[in-house]
Amino acid sequence: MRNRALAVLAAGALVLAGCAKGGGAPRSQATQPPPMPTATSESKVATIRVGGAADSQGPATEVSGAKRGGTITGLFSVGPAHLDPGQIYYSDQSQIAGLISRGLIGFKQQRDGNILIVGDLATDTGTSGDGGKTWTFTLKDGVKWEDGSPITSEDVKWSFERLYDPVINQGPTYVQQWLVGSKDYRAKYPGPYKGGEGLKTIETPDARTVVFHLDKQHGDFNMALGMPGYAIVPKKHTQDVKDEKNYDKRPHASGPYRIVKHTPDKSMEMERNPHWDAATDPIRNAYPDRWTFEFGVTVQQATDRFIADSGEDQYAVNIFGLGPERLPEVVADPELMKRAITGITPFTEYWAINTKRITDPKVREALIKAWPMGAIHKLAGGDMGFGYLGTTIMSPTGVGFRKFDVWGQLDKPDGDVEAARKLLAEAGEQNPTIVYAYANRPLQQKIAVLVQEALTKAGFTYVGKEIDANSWGDTIGQVDKAIDVHRSGWGADWPDGQTVLPPLFDGRLVADGASNYSNYDNPEVNKAIDEADKLATAEERGAAWSKIDEMIVKDAALIPGFYLTYIDMRGSKVWAEMDYYWGGTNLLTAYVNE
Amino acid sequence: MATVVLPETAEPTVTIGLSPGRIAWRRFKRNRTGVFCFFVSATFFIIAATAPLISLAYGKNAHERYGYRLLDASGYPPPPTGGMSPEFWLGIEPGLGRDVFMQLVFGIRTSLAIALIATVGLMLIGITVGIAAGYLGGRTDYWAGRVIDVLLAFPSQLMLIALVPVVDSMLVGPEEATPTWLRFATLCIVLTALGWAGSARILRSQVLSLREREFVEAAKVSGASPARIIFREILPNLWSPIIVLATWQLPILVGVEAGLGFLGVGLGPDVPDWGRMFLEGVQYYHLDFPYLLWPGLAMLIFIVCFNLMGDAIRDALDPKTKGL
Repeated sequence: MRNRALAVLAAGALVLAGCAKGGGAPRSQATQPPPMPTATSESKVATIRVGGAADSQGPATEVSGAKRGGTITGLFSVGPAHLDPGQIYYSDQSQIAGLISRGLIGFKQQRDGNILIVGDLATDTGTSGDGGKTWTFTLKDGVKWEDGSPITSEDVKWSFERLYDPVINQGPTYVQQWLVGSKDYRAKYPGPYKGGEGLKTIETPDARTVVFHLDKQHGDFNMALGMPGYAIVPKKHTQDVKDEKNYDKRPHASGPYRIVKHTPDKSMEMERNPHWDAATDPIRNAYPDRWTFEFGVTVQQATDRFIADSGEDQYAVNIFGLGPERLPEVVADPELMKRAITGITPFTEYWAINTKRITDPKVREALIKAWPMGAIHKLAGGDMGFGYLGTTIMSPTGVGFRKFDVWGQLDKPDGDVEAARKLLAEAGEQNPTIVYAYANRPLQQKIAVLVQEALTKAGFTYVGKEIDANSWGDTIGQVDKAIDVHRSGWGADWPDGQTVLPPLFDGRLVADGASNYSNYDNPEVNKAIDEADKLATAEERGAAWSKIDEMIVKDAALIPGFYLTYIDMRGSKVWAEMDYYWGGTNLLTAYVNE
Repeated sequence: MATVVLPETAEPTVTIGLSPGRIAWRRFKRNRTGVFCFFVSATFFIIAATAPLISLAYGKNAHERYGYRLLDASGYPPPPTGGMSPEFWLGIEPGLGRDVFMQLVFGIRTSLAIALIATVGLMLIGITVGIAAGYLGGRTDYWAGRVIDVLLAFPSQLMLIALVPVVDSMLVGPEEATPTWLRFATLCIVLTALGWAGSARILRSQVLSLREREFVEAAKVSGASPARIIFREILPNLWSPIIVLATWQLPILVGVEAGLGFLGVGLGPDVPDWGRMFLEGVQYYHLDFPYLLWPGLAMLIFIVCFNLMGDAIRDALDPKTKGL
């Protein structure tokens, strides 16, 4: 599960602000949701699909009106904790790393906002054999490291081998497991630093070809390789494991920029990498000549600087979202909204229904019918400040996403008390007790007020359980929790349903500390998950995952919630758009606009 | 202060015969600010006490979301008045759409009740410990002093944040909601338990100086019991600091309670709370200033008036004050 940077945390926080500005501007005209930048306006989302060899060719499509040159400043609340690709997992690190490091596969955002999965260092998205057990990638001609030496298949093999060393412990772990067929992958292969042989399951027949042999069929292997944690590192510069700390601060560049100076958590400067060839890169436009980053600027400070828009800050961007305290002010001001970057993210929020405790599907259904979605939506900040009403488990940014509204939540966002009462009567339950757990944070406490009202009206006996925010994760992770309903959130690691549905609803993964918060175990769904995972192409898989998604929603294992949105600003002399894959400001297409 | 002209008819002996209490009362009555502030503070307590009646007369309660339909898509009431209208006197709460006037009235009730109970509690403990330590001295004084040291060094807000979940899990079953009275009691008890140290220390020092005074020695020589000395000789001389301490503590506790409500260990969002309203207002003030204004103004008026009233009482009790 990816971390939605700090925006979600900050949303619950309150910072005492400066002087008051009474009254406020009229906001009616600005509170309409932003138009969704997509070809499929009906589904209101950016779609993701797998591209071919032609899509993988550089250079990246020009942004109309874009100019080269200049310096863009990043005003970030935290610096990247890691830059060594092997250690990268979180969104903020991934977005910065995208400027420096390249992997075999990447996510290319098209001009219409839709996303293509393309070959980055590879010529295409890979050729699979044995229905997804063997994957072959060919490196592009002319891809080089920042010292001018070519990127070879040897580097690729090495990049995966070194992930087995215990020093690399922050990044994703999927591919490591698939290559040796074991969850305890470090026991199967100790990594290259202790000597011994290399990993036999990666072959390099020539300097440009890499063949991966996986433990079983993984039709989404190429998507997994799109994670920045699987970007490639140069073998000759990462030979010494003792040097890892330094390398993590200043990795060797394969992308358009290289680091000039990096003081962790304080500042960073990047300049153009002269050996990066735009003709090989379908993803990165890399318009500015330099990047400077200022770390430790809180989201509210950054927002205030964007609003003031003076001096160097006119060239600034941010990836952590607006300070929630300033959100209404920005939304209300059409002038400020001209510099806003908004759109949908891969993150979702929903309410897990504990199916171990509420075994009658009719009661679960009644819960969904009674749920005050509309009121919660309004309370949390509406489309722009929070998210769109959602009716599925997968985010619209997942491959194969299909819109459905099993329970008519969009027609009656404020709930259907009559229907809920009827369902309870059918179930023969007199005022069943529902234990609703929530963290002791202002927003969650207020949502609890709405939930209490709605459930009581529908004939439930509401029991509110306030839980200390610090022990929230531990509490909801218990299988035997005395909780019937609680909120949860998710973000896919890559846009295949495998990173969403099995972790949340595979009955065989019910365990303490696991993420199947609904304790949902349906043999039919389990079987369907196994079958979907055997499919080879992204489209087939997507369709299958979407079907499973609908099965689970129909079984009322959760109350579908929201597709979260992002909103941020930029300085007046820089142009930047939404990055729909990461759910933040797109650093790869930004340019200085004087 | 103007010279007091006694009525011609008054016998000088009448003036001489006035008890200290009556003199203080006369002094207090002459302090116009004090009297005014007394009435304002009393109004707050009356509002708090009669909140349900006010709700009845106003025709709305504090928990129904009457104004929800009037909120815009991101939960804000119509600008610039925050939804103030003949229907909603002080506007509509952003986000949930409850009536701000009712929230305020019931919020004052919650906050004042907790602050009042805690003030009475902590003053009682403070007086007892302060007098005991000061009068008995020796070992008692030493240990009381150390306990006070520890308590004064305690970050009471942090303590509450840590303690409330523990109390909840100890006393509330896993499938029960925490009852409001339990939170209420926890808050009162903890605020009392952690708040008495300062008053105790001040009173102790007062007692130390009183203990050596002639009238106490005289009482001792004449064979008075320690209880009599404490209650009849020392305590009457402490009323002035006690009242000043109490009038100083109560508004502070209103503020502390407010902070706790916001940190998530207060009374929960379904119970209206003055302090939480104010702190939430800070979040919304850019576009809904009235929502910050009303609780803020009410709190400002109450704290200033209560403090001024306390001042006036102190002046009235102080024999050094000029005037009658």
